[in-house]
Amino acid sequence: MRALQKYYKQSATYKIFSGIFALLEDFLTTLGQITIKGAQLLKSLLTARIDKQELIFQCERFGISSLPITLSIVGMTSIIVSSQVANEMVKQGGGHFVGLLMTMLIVREVGSIMSGFAIISMIGSSMASELATMRVTEQIDAIKVLQVNPVEYLFVPRVLSGILMMPVIVILASVVGVLAGAVATAMTTDLSFRAYFDSAWLGVYMKDLSVSLLKAVTFGGTISLISCTCGYYASGGAKGVGLATTKAVVWSFVAIVIWDMIFSIIFFF
Amino acid sequence: MSIEVKNLVKIFDEKRVIDDISFTVHDSETLAIVGFSGSGKSTILKLICGLLQPDSGEIITSEGDTAMVFQYSALFDSLNVADNISFALRERKDLRKKFKENDLKEIVAQKLELVGLKGIENKFPAELSGGMQKRVSFARAIVTEPNSILYDEPTSGLDPISSTLIEDYIVRLKEETKAASIVVTHQMSTITRTADRVIMLYDGKIVFEGTPEELLRQETPYTKQFVTASLEGPMKMIA
Repeated sequence: MRALQKYYKQSATYKIFSGIFALLEDFLTTLGQITIKGAQLLKSLLTARIDKQELIFQCERFGISSLPITLSIVGMTSIIVSSQVANEMVKQGGGHFVGLLMTMLIVREVGSIMSGFAIISMIGSSMASELATMRVTEQIDAIKVLQVNPVEYLFVPRVLSGILMMPVIVILASVVGVLAGAVATAMTTDLSFRAYFDSAWLGVYMKDLSVSLLKAVTFGGTISLISCTCGYYASGGAKGVGLATTKAVVWSFVAIVIWDMIFSIIFFF
Repeated sequence: MSIEVKNLVKIFDEKRVIDDISFTVHDSETLAIVGFSGSGKSTILKLICGLLQPDSGEIITSEGDTAMVFQYSALFDSLNVADNISFALRERKDLRKKFKENDLKEIVAQKLELVGLKGIENKFPAELSGGMQKRVSFARAIVTEPNSILYDEPTSGLDPISSTLIEDYIVRLKEETKAASIVVTHQMSTITRTADRVIMLYDGKIVFEGTPEELLRQETPYTKQFVTASLEGPMKMIA
């Protein structure tokens, strides 16, 4: 019987299925961990004392330190899109709608999703690796032994900073995106700034702005929650910190794309 | 009685790492837990301070806090020494309203003086030597006036002189706080200089219980092998 088991364990079928089950187990475990920490976080947000000094520090870290890269990425994305689209639209006689198209694209999508990606790579990864390092150096155990609630101490200021700062980042990124689009359009076509901005205002509705801000709040909270959770549950040494950071980045990317899809289906279908 | 452990069992991956262990540590007493690496010594500490849950058995501690000094200090590297020591007083729900800023400063200064590190409040952990970090973690552990203190390999990685200093502070803290203490260690000097009693673990079970003097007498095959650091004997290392 044992020989049969040993033979079976060496087979390709066993290896494929055990690999799939390991992935599934990891997926469900991570989902469960995020759900549990999300629930604990909600409770803490309602009941915990918020350390204003720590919140300000985290907001500064989330918003200000990431701003140059976030604005550059959104600005450059806008330049890439407008330089390719504007020329074609002008050739086809639709030059008057370049501003409208760019504004709609930036306010609805590019501003929030590209800012989200920039924040994940800069802030999410940093949050995950910070908490993972605290985990593997027993600092989180020390917090527990000192009878301080780790969700209140570690998660609340970080997630709140994401919720508060992400809308500010998205607004600024959208403004930069629209302006960068105007510059790129003016440089690649004969369209004037005035013509661009005349139609740009037509593409912005209150609903678009509201959805964009709602998305920003959701993205900010989701990125912070996932990053903190992946870091919190890290194990092992340096390798564990690396794995937790990678997991935080991958899960955050996928999560905000899923959120984006849900928002599109709900508000723009 | 300050810490009573009854029929404790902890299983990891179907292996009984702690297998039906019972012992008691009284107030003002220090128990050393010794044994090979991987024999479950640190697991016992984590079970006592609540970082792990036992699969069966019972841990009874007197009312009050249980403090732990971690093997690598586990100081919060983003906080300075003063904030590390006063962390529980600032952040714990039941304590944070009790102390004003001046009280905290005074308490931090007192605790630092107790561990011989006056005037380093504004330094960060990265600026301290391993021995100093250890002593700051002692100060952090005793800030809530705990009834029991757990030390996880407090002298590992330290030079002999720093080790002696740390051992002196373990004795001093016991005298000052009257706490029940458990010291997990491999080092003979730590056992002989700090412990009132010793238990030796092997394969999840207690294989020796006695005083440090009895351990040194090497009257059982287990104590003989441990004290002489011999590869020959009933305890087999898993490479």
